[in-house]
Amino acid sequence: MTKHIKNPVVKLIIYAILILWGISVIYPLVWTVLDSVKDNQQFFFNAPWSLPKFPLLWDNFSYVWSKYNFSTYFMNSLIITVGSTLLAVLLSAMTAYVLARYKFRGSNLLFLLYISSMMVPFVLALIPLFFLMNSMGLINTKIGLIFVYTSSLLAFGVFILVGFFKSLPKELEEAAIVDGASYYGTFFKVMLPLSQPGLITLGIVNVLNIWNEYIVGTILINDPTQYTLPVEIGVMQAEMQYRTEWGPLFAALLITIVPILIVYIIFQRQIASGITAGAVK
Amino acid sequence: MNLGTAKWQRNVFIASFIIPTLVFFGIFTIYPVVKGLYYAFFDWSGMSEHKNFVGLDNFKDMFNDPIVWRAIGNDYFLVAGKIIGIMILATFFAVALTRFGFKLAGFFRSIFFIPNVISVVVVGVLWNFIYNPQIGFLNAFLSLFTKEKVTITWLGFPAHTIWMLLPPAIWAGIGFYMILLIAAIQSIPESYYEAANIEGAGEWHQFWKITVPLVWEQIKVSIINIMMTTLNGSFVIVWIMTEGGPDNSTQVMGSYLYQMAFRQFHFGYGAAIGFVIMVLSLITTIVLQRLMRHESVEMS
Repeated sequence: MTKHIKNPVVKLIIYAILILWGISVIYPLVWTVLDSVKDNQQFFFNAPWSLPKFPLLWDNFSYVWSKYNFSTYFMNSLIITVGSTLLAVLLSAMTAYVLARYKFRGSNLLFLLYISSMMVPFVLALIPLFFLMNSMGLINTKIGLIFVYTSSLLAFGVFILVGFFKSLPKELEEAAIVDGASYYGTFFKVMLPLSQPGLITLGIVNVLNIWNEYIVGTILINDPTQYTLPVEIGVMQAEMQYRTEWGPLFAALLITIVPILIVYIIFQRQIASGITAGAVK
Repeated sequence: MNLGTAKWQRNVFIASFIIPTLVFFGIFTIYPVVKGLYYAFFDWSGMSEHKNFVGLDNFKDMFNDPIVWRAIGNDYFLVAGKIIGIMILATFFAVALTRFGFKLAGFFRSIFFIPNVISVVVVGVLWNFIYNPQIGFLNAFLSLFTKEKVTITWLGFPAHTIWMLLPPAIWAGIGFYMILLIAAIQSIPESYYEAANIEGAGEWHQFWKITVPLVWEQIKVSIINIMMTTLNGSFVIVWIMTEGGPDNSTQVMGSYLYQMAFRQFHFGYGAAIGFVIMVLSLITTIVLQRLMRHESVEMS
C-alpha cells in the first residue's frame, strides 16, 4: 500500500502545486475555446480572461473552415497521418518480426543500424531531403510527405516491435507451421492478430507525432493547397503581424487540437505503454 | 521435402520482409543524413548543380561567426534550463502521484500529459498570446496590480528573450518524463518502503535512499533524451515564437540552420551547422553518460 502523508500542511502544499499545474495545463485550452468565438473588439478592449459576448461568433469556425481552407488542410493532415502511420507500422512490423524470430547473416548489424540512427539528429537530413524530394518530383505532394514521415518512424518502430515480438510465445507460430502454413501465412494470419496491442501502441504514438509535425512539412510543402494543419498554423501566425484575426486563429488552433485530444482520451493507456517501452534500453 | 528449396524459401521470405523497409529507410533517412555530412564541405547556393568544394572553410566561417557562438550558448542554456525545470517538476509529480495515495492521482496524470499531445506549433502560438504586449495574458494580469496598463514586449529584449522561451519548453515537456518516472516508481517493490517505514525513515529520506537510486536509470535516460531533443528539435518553438530574433539573440543552431539554408540559401553553411549539431549532441551524450555513470543501482 502506498503511504498517506501525515502532515496536513505538507499535504495541502502538494495538492496546491498539483492543482496549480493542472490549471496551467487546462486553462490555455479553455481560453482557446472561449477566444475562438470572440471578435477583434473583445480582444482589444476586454481582458484576455473575460467571457465571450453573446451572440457567440461561431462564424469564426465556418470562416476558417471555408475561407482559410481548413477543410483542405484537415483532409491533408488526415490522409498523411493515416497513410504514414499504416505504412510505417506495416514496414516496421515486417522487419521487426524477422529480426526477432530469424537468425541470418547481418541480422545484428541491421538491428544496430536502425537503433543507432535514432542517435543522429534529423535536422542534418533536412537540406538533402529537400533536394532529393525536388529531384524525385515529390515536393508539394502528399505521397512525398508520407514517404518521408514513414521513413522517420521506422527506427523507433523496429526497436519497439522487436522487443514486443520477442515477448510473444513461439508455440502458436510453431503450431501454424506444423499445420502447413507458409511463412507469410504465419505472419499475416497468426502473428499480426496476436500482436495487435503492440501494433496499436506504436500506431498511436506515430499518429501523435505525424499529426503534430511541423518542420519537415514546412520545408517540403510550399503549395498552399497541400499544407497540413501545423504548417498552416505557422503561416497564419506569421500573417498575424499584418492582419489581426485573433478569433479565427483560435478557431484554427481548436480544429488542430481537438482531433488529437480525442485520440489521446481514447488511447491514453496505449500512449503511456508506448512511452515506457521506448525508454527501456 | 527438398532442403535446398526450404532454405531458399526461408531466405526469400526474410529478404522480402527486410528489403522494403530498408529501401524506404535508405532513401529517405540514411541517404539524406550522409549527404548532409557531405554538403558541409561545399559552398552551394542550391540554385545550380554547381557546388564548390571548400574543404573546412564552412567550419572556419562558423568559428568566426558570432551568431553561431550565441546559438550554441542558447542551445545549452535551453538544455540546462529544461533539464533542471523538467526533471524537478516531473520527478515531483511522479512521486506525488504514486507514493502519496492521492485519490485524484489518475486524473492529474491524464491532465498533465495533455501539453505533450499538442503540436509544438500550437504551443508556440498559445504562448505568443500569453506574451503579446497589447492583448496578452501576462500584461493584462500584471495590469491588475498597477495603475497604468502594462505593455511589456516580453519577446523584444535581446538580452532576456531566451528566458521567455524556457517556460513553454518546460510546460510542453513535462508530461512525457512524468509518465516515464511513474512507471519506474511503480515497479519498485513495496517491501522496500515498508522496511524503511519500520526503521522509521522519513518520507524525504526514503525518496533519496530508495526512489532516486532505483529510478536512476530512467532519470539518466530522461536527461539524455531532453538534451538530444533540445539540440535537435527545440528550434521549432524558437522559430514559431521569435524566428531567432530580436537581432539573432534567441537563435539556436537548428533555427540558424533553417535560416541559413532555406531563407538565405547558403546550403553548404547550413549543412555545416547540422554537422556541428550532430557532433555536439554526440559529445554531450558521452559527457552526460560519464557524469551519471556510477550511481546506478541494480534491482535484485
